[in-house]
Amino acid sequence: MQLQYFLLLAAALFCIGIYGLITSRNAVRVLMSIELLLNAVNINLMAFSNFLDSTLIKGQVFTVFVITVAAAEAAVGLAIVLTIYRNRDTVDMEQFNLLKW
Amino acid sequence: MFQSFLDNVWLVPVYALLGGILALPWSPGIIRRTGPRPAGYVNLIMTSLAFLHSTLAFPGTWNHPAKEVLIPWLSTAGLNLTINLEISSISVGALIVITGINLLAQIYAVGYMEMDWGWGRFYSLLGLFEAGLCALALCNNLFFSYVVLEVLTLGTYLLVGLWFSQPLVVTGARDAFLTKRVGDLFLLMGVLGLWTLAGTWDYKDLAIWAQTAKVDPTVITLVCLALIAGPMGKCAQFPLHLWLDEAMEGPVPSTILRNSVVVASGAWVLIKLQPVFSLSPIASSAMVGIGAVTAIGGSLIAIAQIDIKRCLSYSVSVYMGLIFIAVGTQQDEAALLLVLTHALASALLVMSTGGIVWNSVTQDVRQMGGLWSRRPMSGLAFIVGTLGLIGFPPLGSFWALMELADGLWGKHPWLVGIIIAVNALTAFSLTREFGLIFGGRPKQMTERSPEAIWLMVLPMMILFGFVLHLPLILQSLSLLPNWATLNKDVALLLIWSSIFGCGTSAVIYLGNIPKPIRLPWQGLQNLLAYDFYTPKLYKITIIFGVAQLAKLADMVDRFVVDGIVNFVGLFSLLGGEGLKYSTNGQTQFYALTLLVTVSLLGVWVTWPFWGVQFLDLVF
Repeated sequence: MQLQYFLLLAAALFCIGIYGLITSRNAVRVLMSIELLLNAVNINLMAFSNFLDSTLIKGQVFTVFVITVAAAEAAVGLAIVLTIYRNRDTVDMEQFNLLKW
Repeated sequence: MFQSFLDNVWLVPVYALLGGILALPWSPGIIRRTGPRPAGYVNLIMTSLAFLHSTLAFPGTWNHPAKEVLIPWLSTAGLNLTINLEISSISVGALIVITGINLLAQIYAVGYMEMDWGWGRFYSLLGLFEAGLCALALCNNLFFSYVVLEVLTLGTYLLVGLWFSQPLVVTGARDAFLTKRVGDLFLLMGVLGLWTLAGTWDYKDLAIWAQTAKVDPTVITLVCLALIAGPMGKCAQFPLHLWLDEAMEGPVPSTILRNSVVVASGAWVLIKLQPVFSLSPIASSAMVGIGAVTAIGGSLIAIAQIDIKRCLSYSVSVYMGLIFIAVGTQQDEAALLLVLTHALASALLVMSTGGIVWNSVTQDVRQMGGLWSRRPMSGLAFIVGTLGLIGFPPLGSFWALMELADGLWGKHPWLVGIIIAVNALTAFSLTREFGLIFGGRPKQMTERSPEAIWLMVLPMMILFGFVLHLPLILQSLSLLPNWATLNKDVALLLIWSSIFGCGTSAVIYLGNIPKPIRLPWQGLQNLLAYDFYTPKLYKITIIFGVAQLAKLADMVDRFVVDGIVNFVGLFSLLGGEGLKYSTNGQTQFYALTLLVTVSLLGVWVTWPFWGVQFLDLVF
């Protein structure tokens, strides 16, 4: 019954991340929420790798890759935020609705 | 020699048509240098040829059985349309009358249309009419009679609308076309209905079929009523009579034709169809009813007119009504005789009054008077035309009316009463017209009124002679009813009614009674003068109905049909307009959409695994 707890925790974290992702007005907080999502995924991967694949631990390999990619992604994300900030002097997501209908 | 003429008598309509076509180049737009007169001369030559040909062919038909000429026209699966021409003494006689009156009317028109440039159009249309009428006279087939009738309807439209710069001409031509067209279309229904019953359109085969036909009385009654409706419009019978009144806007020479011959084209078809009508007593009584109402109504209206041409046009309706009565009571011979005598007398009357209009300008009989001493020939022609039209022995119509009344005497005495009354009323109206034009003192418009030029007087006098000689001609052909067997009481009644009508009218209009005459009931006088307010009647019934229907259909088309199709477009447009707001520019909204969609998809895909338990849990 151990696996379910991990999965539930990961799901809760994921949902919190989603909530943060779609409600935050600050673009940096959006990136932070994405980090939460990715970490929730990592917990999942670790849990599965421990409980279902404890010999080959492919999940852990996945996790390493995810962390790596997440770091790169966060870096690029922050770069984008900075670029936008440079042009528009704000990081408010509600000000970034220029590409509409 | 007569025989070769007889064999080629089908050429007569061709001459006339050729004359009509040959007249066209002298339209003002084509030959610009010579003026329009050659159009008339060419047409006159062709008409003379047609007249000569039919006259020379006539002796060959006399006392010979009718011959048939078959010209195949169209043969498709199950339907062979063959133009069959009947060459009998009646049809060739009709050709003589048609071409003869045409010849006279065209000579008359050379004088009357002196100051007019439109000869090319005018004469080509006269040629078309002559050709159509000749073709109708020869044609022994209901279908081709219908074809010719329609061509003549179009011809009427164009001929009445000759001087189309006048607004009344345009409305008159419109009414003439539409009214006759309605009748013709009903006729077409009848023609098609008859085909399914009889399987033939040949008049002779129809007569044979009618002798032994066993058909549903309702069906044959409806078919017969439709067949009556065509001639009803053509012959200007109530209630399709207004067009003839308005057709008086056309030039006088064409009026000669219309009054004498063209309206008889409907009567001709009617007479030819008489065996079919005898199958349905209801249709026959309807015909008699229509004829009687028209005869009485028309003769009353004619008395109350002030327009010299309209006084006569209603008499035409009256006499066509008498022909309806004759056909409705199965008296073809009397009807044919009446067509002949009416054609000659009526043409003479129109020629006489046309000459008056020509140089008195006005058509208002109240502004005329005192022409007798200065225009004796026109006056005499009018008198003879009148006497030839009413029952006055020994002139033509007396015999026709006699034969008609004699045939009705035993079975339908009340119809004899109508004929006597109509005769008296017509006598009254024609004498009134004579009294107003020729009697009394000259009025301003007729102060100086010389006799018309020879081109108009000559045809009038020739026709005058024909009307006078008609009884002799008929007697020599032994076409007159036998005096010995005729009912002398009827003859006396007819003569007395004529004398009574003429006499009363003469006392009123030639005596010293102050004019204008006012009836004690002004309403009645107006009712008759305005033709029972027929234009208003049309306007509030048929025209109103059709106009409202047209408006309704237009609205349905505009709003419902167009609306539905436009709504599809509008819906797509609004859909696009409305749905574009889903692209609201918020990245987070896109993320939400993505998430919701993926969740729903997940729910949908995995529903079979947990849906039932979930539903159990909830409910």
